[in-house]
Amino acid sequence: MAGRELAETARAVKSGIPLLAARGLTKAFPGTVALDRVDLDVSAGEVHALLGENGSGKSTLIKVLSGYHVPDAGSVEIDGQPLEFGSSVSSYDLGCRFIHQDLALVETMTVRDNLMLGAGFPSRLATVRDRAAEREARQMLARAGVAVNPKQFVSALSPAQRTGVAVARALRGDVSVETKVLVMDEPTATLPEAEVTHLLEIIRAVARGGVGVLYVTHRLDEVGRVADNLTVLRDGVKVADAAARGMAREDLVRLLVGSDFEEPPRATGPLIPSSEPLLSVDGLTSESLDRVSLEARPGEVVGIAGITGSGREALLGTIFGALPRFDGRVTVSGREVHRDGAWAAVSAGIGYLPADRKSNGGVMNLPVRENLTLARLRPLWKAPFLRRTREDAECRRWFEQLSIRPKDRFNETLERFSGGNQQKVLLAKWLRLEPRVLLLDEPTQGVDVASKAEIHRQLTATAHQGAAVLIASSDVDELAAVCTRVVVLHEGHPTAELQGDRVRVDLISREAHGSEPTGRTT
Amino acid sequence: MKLRRLNLGMDRFSGFYLWAAMIVLFGIWVPDTFLTTSTVQSVASQQAITAMTGLAVLVPLLAGQFDLSVGAVVNLTTIIVACLQTRSGWAMWPAIGVAVLSGVAVGVVNAFIVVRLKVSSFIATLGMATVVTAVISIVSGQSQPLPPSSAAWNNLTQTQIFGIQVVFYYLVALALILWWLLDHTPAGRYISAVGGNPEATRLSGVRTNRWVALSLIVSATVSGVVGIFYSSLDGPSLTFGPTLLLPAFAAAFLGSTQFRPGRFNVWGTVVAVYILGTGIQGMELVTGVQWISDLFNGIALIVAVAFAVWRQNAAEATRTRNNARRRPGSRDSQQANPPGGGDASDGGVGPADIAARDASAAAAETHA
Repeated sequence: MAGRELAETARAVKSGIPLLAARGLTKAFPGTVALDRVDLDVSAGEVHALLGENGSGKSTLIKVLSGYHVPDAGSVEIDGQPLEFGSSVSSYDLGCRFIHQDLALVETMTVRDNLMLGAGFPSRLATVRDRAAEREARQMLARAGVAVNPKQFVSALSPAQRTGVAVARALRGDVSVETKVLVMDEPTATLPEAEVTHLLEIIRAVARGGVGVLYVTHRLDEVGRVADNLTVLRDGVKVADAAARGMAREDLVRLLVGSDFEEPPRATGPLIPSSEPLLSVDGLTSESLDRVSLEARPGEVVGIAGITGSGREALLGTIFGALPRFDGRVTVSGREVHRDGAWAAVSAGIGYLPADRKSNGGVMNLPVRENLTLARLRPLWKAPFLRRTREDAECRRWFEQLSIRPKDRFNETLERFSGGNQQKVLLAKWLRLEPRVLLLDEPTQGVDVASKAEIHRQLTATAHQGAAVLIASSDVDELAAVCTRVVVLHEGHPTAELQGDRVRVDLISREAHGSEPTGRTT
Repeated sequence: MKLRRLNLGMDRFSGFYLWAAMIVLFGIWVPDTFLTTSTVQSVASQQAITAMTGLAVLVPLLAGQFDLSVGAVVNLTTIIVACLQTRSGWAMWPAIGVAVLSGVAVGVVNAFIVVRLKVSSFIATLGMATVVTAVISIVSGQSQPLPPSSAAWNNLTQTQIFGIQVVFYYLVALALILWWLLDHTPAGRYISAVGGNPEATRLSGVRTNRWVALSLIVSATVSGVVGIFYSSLDGPSLTFGPTLLLPAFAAAFLGSTQFRPGRFNVWGTVVAVYILGTGIQGMELVTGVQWISDLFNGIALIVAVAFAVWRQNAAEATRTRNNARRRPGSRDSQQANPPGGGDASDGGVGPADIAARDASAAAAETHA
């Protein structure tokens, strides 16, 4: 171990010499150039952000590094050694490690066992040496700066802690191979704000240990917080390579999208200020909610803020009937909504977009067409057949209205679409019903900037047409950008309400964390 | 472009080519016995029973549920309809009515266990199959009832139309009804959505329990009717039912590789049964041994599922490549003609997933 520490110090001193040096990487697929003469340098101790919209070539670049794609031209050197393209073994042996959104941890096993799975348990006479394994696990976790008990089960960890465990596992490598370059592909896409902070600390610590970190993200606000430098790809071309600090958000967006793009207009608030509430929730109580009451009027976009565990992630699902309700009343235009299931909420005019689109949002193996019309088939039914021409026409219209890409491919299965387009399809499913109340959990999680703007535009338009829109989001920027009013939850109870000019990122965050500084937020 | 479309045809209709190849092969090998009207007749009517059972299991499979009690239900109604007529002296139609109702009843119980007690359909229907077997013993007194002798009873399935027994046309009618139900009605949409992702479907406002229940009741009802046909066609048997189970599942899974690869479908199932039936008939004529059908059906089930899994992996690899090359706003020609079928990955459930999920339990069932 002492030798290893020495080596680390030596490497940290060498800082500035690129650990990862890609030169002129070019990769064409029939019809497109995914990478066009891209250079990329990542030094020891550096966190390098790689940014780009869906389809910009980011994933192709990562897959070149991991040995999945063979580029048409160019070269990659890892710490001076040439990478053999198309070979994941070469990539691994040279010290490249990858952490994807799916962390590939076994949830039913302990942290220790997860860490040992890859490289093997220390054993004597074919029996696992428990204490040695635990000691080793502790060292690995310490090296990654993750404060987790190795005896804990992964299922009991917070999302950021899980990512930390994955980092610890990646850093371990073999005894013979040191980790030199760590590639993290959108590790924060599904993490709530407080967890993100924790994870970014881990990433900084890893880089301080002398590893070069290539960090892929859609979240622009964290670039300045964690990265030293950044590279922006657009349509396979490197359009920027700069220091991360001091880069303005608008400049980044312009680089990503390639043109000036307007932030969507904000809803203006209740259409008729004194109007009757469209949705009223009275004393809603569940496992994670404590007598929540709130109202929403036509034309309002109400944000729901709060740290993880505040009830923010459960409120909308409970109103809708996705999660069980212990007590309380939900009414739409004065009519009570039955608590016995989502169908009652849908027939009362409520639409709900869940946070996890893969497991709760869409039926991935069915055509987009069938997903789009699933919530209401009655208008398409003319005995004895469903009217396909009419269904196709409706799909075409929604594809047009929400600029869903690829255009008019609604007979393809949903899984074939990119995250942003899947989300637009699922939003269209609800917009089609012309809901009176639209509930959205994390509507733009893991969605590219252009799709995000489109979704926000649609939400605002829906409110303008007289619906009440409620958005629960861990992305405070999002709430500040689109909401007319924000309700902040704390320990299952609404503790603050911000309106008008007070809907600001800093105020929302302050209220969400409570007035006194909260120590551990995970 | 033209070439690609041709490949797609090979992909989706490979079963037809296989079928044609088998007919040519056996036609050359044993022309005297294979290329005869009696072979056509026997394959058409015998396999109609298997095909209808295959259609019965197809409906719950589409909803993501296994119905392992279909074989037992076929046997139950076979025995009930015969016992009522020959031992209790009932007329034909009332006997048929009661027998079918007993099938429906099993479906209702299955649905209750799965939807209300929330027992997995695999366990629920496996248990029910055994319970039904006990009921068969009680009803029959462990002895095979005599076949009813009325002409109407025999004519029910054995009347010949264009040289083929009428039971074959019942299959065609059933296939048309299920094709309509599953492909052209909201019920079919809901059933396949539940099978793909139950939670997402529930959160779309669909009353998923209802459709799961319906699918199990449909399968038991169809099985009940199949039992009547079997009893009329071949006479009441105490042991025939369970032997139908494996060919039925083999056909449904093999069928999911045809017409609409990656999805269970009516016509694929029917065609798969006849491909298997033709192969078995031909091999039996060539070799003269009886164990061919077990061998053939068992291998077919495994090959069909292995093929579905392989195809899914191939499709995923293609998708990964496609995603990498997709650009915002550009029409991606690759998207139009996926070389593999689009079945499930995360969140979705396709035939391959269903097969993999309960693979070990399936092994247990074949011993039961």
